Amino acid sequence: MKYRLKIHVSLKLGHSDPEGETTARLLRELGYKVENVSVGKVYRVLLEADTTKEAERKAEEMCKRLLANPTKDDYAIVVEETK
Amino acid sequence: MKRADIKICLLRVGGTNCDAETKRSFEALGAKADIVHVNELVKQRNLIEYSALVFPGGFSYGDYVRAGAIWAKWILAKLGKDLEAFVDDGRPILGICNGFQVLVEAGLLPAFEGVSQQPEAALANNVRGYSCRWVYLKHENMDKCVFTWKVPKGMVLRMPIAHGEGRFIFPKEKEKEFLKKLYDNDQLVFRYCNGDGEYAEGGFPENPNGSFHDIAGICNPEGTVFGLMPHPERAFYWWQQPDWTSKKRMQEYGDGKLVFESLIDYLERKG
Amino acid sequence: MTQRFFIRRKTRFPLYEINLLGAEDMQLLEVSRELGIGLNLREMEKVQNYFRRKKRTPTDVELQTIGQTWSEHCFHKTFKGKIQFNGKKIDSLFKTYIAKATEKVDPKWCFSVFEDNAGIVSFGKGYGVAIKVETHNHPSAVEPFGGAATGTGGVIRDILGVWADPIACTDVLGFGPLNFDYKKLPAGVNHPKYVYMGVVAGIGNYGNNMGIPTVNGAVCFDESYVGNVVVYCGCVGLLPLGKFRKNAQAGDVIVVAGGRTGLDGIHGVTFASAELTEKSEAVSRPAVQIANPIEEEKLKRAIVEIRDLELASAITDLGGGGLSSAVGETAKKFGCGAEVELDKVPLKYGEMAPWEIYVSESQERMLLTVPRGNLEKVLKIFEREDVEATPIGQLTADNVLILRYERVKVAELDISFLFKPPRTVRIAKYESPEFEEPDFPEPSNLAEVLKLLLSSPNIASKESVVRIYDHEVKGNTVIKPLQGIYAGPNDAAVLKPLSDSWKGIVLSCGINPSYGKIDPYWMAASAIDEAIRNNVAVGGRRIALLDNFTWGNPEKPERLGSLVRACEACYDVATALGTPFISGKDSLYNESPLGPVTPTLLISALGVIPDIRLAVSMETKTSGDIIYVVGETFKELGGSEYYRLRGILGKTVPKVQVVQAKRIFKAVTAAIDAGLVKACHDLSEGGLAVAAAEMCFAGGYGMKLDLRKVPQEASLDRDDFILFSESNSRFLVELSEQGNAEFENLMKGKPFAALGKTTRDRRLRFIGLKGKVVLEASVDELGSMWRKALSSEVQP
Repeated sequence: MKYRLKIHVSLKLGHSDPEGETTARLLRELGYKVENVSVGKVYRVLLEADTTKEAERKAEEMCKRLLANPTKDDYAIVVEETK
Repeated sequence: MKRADIKICLLRVGGTNCDAETKRSFEALGAKADIVHVNELVKQRNLIEYSALVFPGGFSYGDYVRAGAIWAKWILAKLGKDLEAFVDDGRPILGICNGFQVLVEAGLLPAFEGVSQQPEAALANNVRGYSCRWVYLKHENMDKCVFTWKVPKGMVLRMPIAHGEGRFIFPKEKEKEFLKKLYDNDQLVFRYCNGDGEYAEGGFPENPNGSFHDIAGICNPEGTVFGLMPHPERAFYWWQQPDWTSKKRMQEYGDGKLVFESLIDYLERKG
Repeated sequence: MTQRFFIRRKTRFPLYEINLLGAEDMQLLEVSRELGIGLNLREMEKVQNYFRRKKRTPTDVELQTIGQTWSEHCFHKTFKGKIQFNGKKIDSLFKTYIAKATEKVDPKWCFSVFEDNAGIVSFGKGYGVAIKVETHNHPSAVEPFGGAATGTGGVIRDILGVWADPIACTDVLGFGPLNFDYKKLPAGVNHPKYVYMGVVAGIGNYGNNMGIPTVNGAVCFDESYVGNVVVYCGCVGLLPLGKFRKNAQAGDVIVVAGGRTGLDGIHGVTFASAELTEKSEAVSRPAVQIANPIEEEKLKRAIVEIRDLELASAITDLGGGGLSSAVGETAKKFGCGAEVELDKVPLKYGEMAPWEIYVSESQERMLLTVPRGNLEKVLKIFEREDVEATPIGQLTADNVLILRYERVKVAELDISFLFKPPRTVRIAKYESPEFEEPDFPEPSNLAEVLKLLLSSPNIASKESVVRIYDHEVKGNTVIKPLQGIYAGPNDAAVLKPLSDSWKGIVLSCGINPSYGKIDPYWMAASAIDEAIRNNVAVGGRRIALLDNFTWGNPEKPERLGSLVRACEACYDVATALGTPFISGKDSLYNESPLGPVTPTLLISALGVIPDIRLAVSMETKTSGDIIYVVGETFKELGGSEYYRLRGILGKTVPKVQVVQAKRIFKAVTAAIDAGLVKACHDLSEGGLAVAAAEMCFAGGYGMKLDLRKVPQEASLDRDDFILFSESNSRFLVELSEQGNAEFENLMKGKPFAALGKTTRDRRLRFIGLKGKVVLEASVDELGSMWRKALSSEVQP
């Protein structure tokens, strides 16, 4: 079975986010009343697994092994079955 | 070990780009340095033939995901055992710039309790973005780091940095604890400072990236694995200095030479 | 509608025949437009006649191939075409002015000029230096980051395309004012600040990631660049001349290596040759390619190894026109034909029509021809570097280009026809526009004027750009873009490329768009003079030049007229100064809803220095040294930054006194070689006052200088004119007291004078014509004005 994973990796609160700050500044300059911007990454993964549980477990593993550095990153995983 | 028998492995992968000048620095000191594509190392499995391993600067795998992350995990997967044996044997490993990022991502630094499963620190993006400039570094290590043992403690050195992700940080909740460990284990090697040796205290441009505690380079508790953001290979000769034209007399070499020299002398003595 | 002309062939893949044999004029043009190939009527007629002779209808692949090959971008129709100019007939601007200058100078040290992807000069110890500068204006206007990044990637491939290892990049950029009013921005035009941030980041992204230092450049601002951003990307490479292989022959295998081919960049060529319109953003975005510098880095490693082992017979990059121009030009160059199987080309995704594969401009691809016996070795090298390489066909003996897809012949064209488009004939005219010499009283506070000049965008520090480029990687940058403890602006960069030699490469540039608004001839002359004097100032000599034109629509006679004038200056000044052109590139049709681009000629200069230990930087070295000015100051403030500050254009632009210029350059070089010169700085935007200020704050010393001593035209009777005139061929030189007799001896017969001395007190003072101090300012304050201005525009 194929599963569509959406893995969001973003900075943990408390760490400074230069990219977000710069983006916020530019958006303000364009006239938007932007309070703050935080930037993260989304990985869309098409994965072969037997069950939703297994897909979730694998996604968790991917984050721990590569996609997130626990020093600074939080992550969130969304798993969808594909038809 | 005789100097001529010393053989350094400069590892590269797509995106590594500071290998040639790093090789030149070692060879200027009479050591042999091979630039080895990591694919070759995986094929030959001969890492143990080398006296020391260097991860040079560059943008391995385009710095995608996080700088150094992909290469670090790739190497752990393909050469984990060899690398472990290499470290356990006390053979030195140096990571410069992207190489430092690789060492941190691979858990080889700071490695408080040996190589860690997950990174215990991060080299996050600079507070002011990518920057190429010369910085001052204060040497903090007592005597443990084999890459700086010839540098007197407190000496101010000068080297250039060029990176977008070099802000050394610990997990927020562990900052104090981990910093204490760095001091207790004599793992702190370089901190950013000004020309007079006063710590940058986070101030720009002396601390060019916003690193926690002005940290520019650290080693493992054994002193055999060392990573730093600045580029010693770009501060090897006098004519690489940014102000040689203003000086009446330049020393023949730049401060970066001390790093290479410390390692070579260490390997020579180690036998 | 011309649908009835399009006949779908019964193939498994999309292939059309276009039955234009009986088409009428309007229909031919319609077909050209529908296919997006941008051919005009004369060209379409030639195509029609060709296929009438062949007694068959062309395929879409064939028409696309012809369209690409004949495009302005690939064929340079304007520079190679015929021009009627004020009653005079010019047969090719390129041959008449640019190439002819090189023929006349005829230096022995030129290894390859105008022939290959880049110009090559010899360097010594068996090495050659290759250099190329590209324009990437149109793609950068639409997608600043991607456009600039792929511009850099493209010019680096040009260097790989002559078997050279890239060792340095340059970038010269032109933007609209960063504070341009958002409300005045026409639809489809990006704001200058957005363009600026994207372009600057894009260039850094590519050079940094590939590990090539970006060491020299310039950033200029002009209202006309709001709609027409100017992006020049340059690259310099080093190659062992003995390994330069250019001997392909029939039977050699054609190999495409590097990135895969995709839909990105289809029709980039015809797009670059058309004016940007309001719709550009929406319709042409797919024409901009995505950059992957790491792919190119791997490609570079493999190519350098193949070069060193001498395994291939020829190489070229896949740039504008993609495979169509790379295959065609390679076949033509070696007097061959070619057979290519398009279905062999590895694709990024899904399926593409054969014509799309053939014209795609996907990045990071190179084309090699390899003798059959070496093929396996070559493929192995690519594999080791994780680079995909695929044999896609071979060179043939018959001068015919044959393309197949799944064994079906989809194109068959004679190479001789393909490279003989009808010559364009264009009309050019030029009349000197009427300008007035301004009349205004001399300002009382000249120190204030100097501060305003230092913080004006064209003069202010470009540190915020320079620092986001790695200019130190490779560890060979001897003279850096920013020099000294206080980071002053150096005139040129010096590299030491060989470990076992002190010989250095000197890189500099010259660009004066403001003068072009008044007089394109003297604008071009000034750019050449500036590029050379920047090079001379650090110790460069034996200088080769590159020309890069950014102009408006050449189909408009007055635009073409000013281009002709600029080319005339290129010939006149280059021959007089003995500096050959070795490479160049033009970008025409830079027009937007806001009007045409200000004619902008970039001159890049490549010099050598026999020993980098002789190299001179611009910062003051100590107090009590003598400051000399070399060169004569004239009342020529037209187009100057001083006038711009007052909102005036003016009338009289700086000219170049070529005979005197040559003697001055020679004398300065002699003084540097004698070890007399402690600091040297060229006088350019902002003139004497700005140059003196820059030397002061870069080194941390003051100066006291006497304007009465400046060698000058008699009519130059005002302090402000002497301070801010931008006359060419001038230098400020710092000398210790002991050296001055020898220096004055070397300068004999040239205009020069000791103006005063450097001082410890970090104040800059000028004594005016009436013997009183007319300008006094703190060096630290001047430095901080210069440093802050631009960076505060773009950084928090």
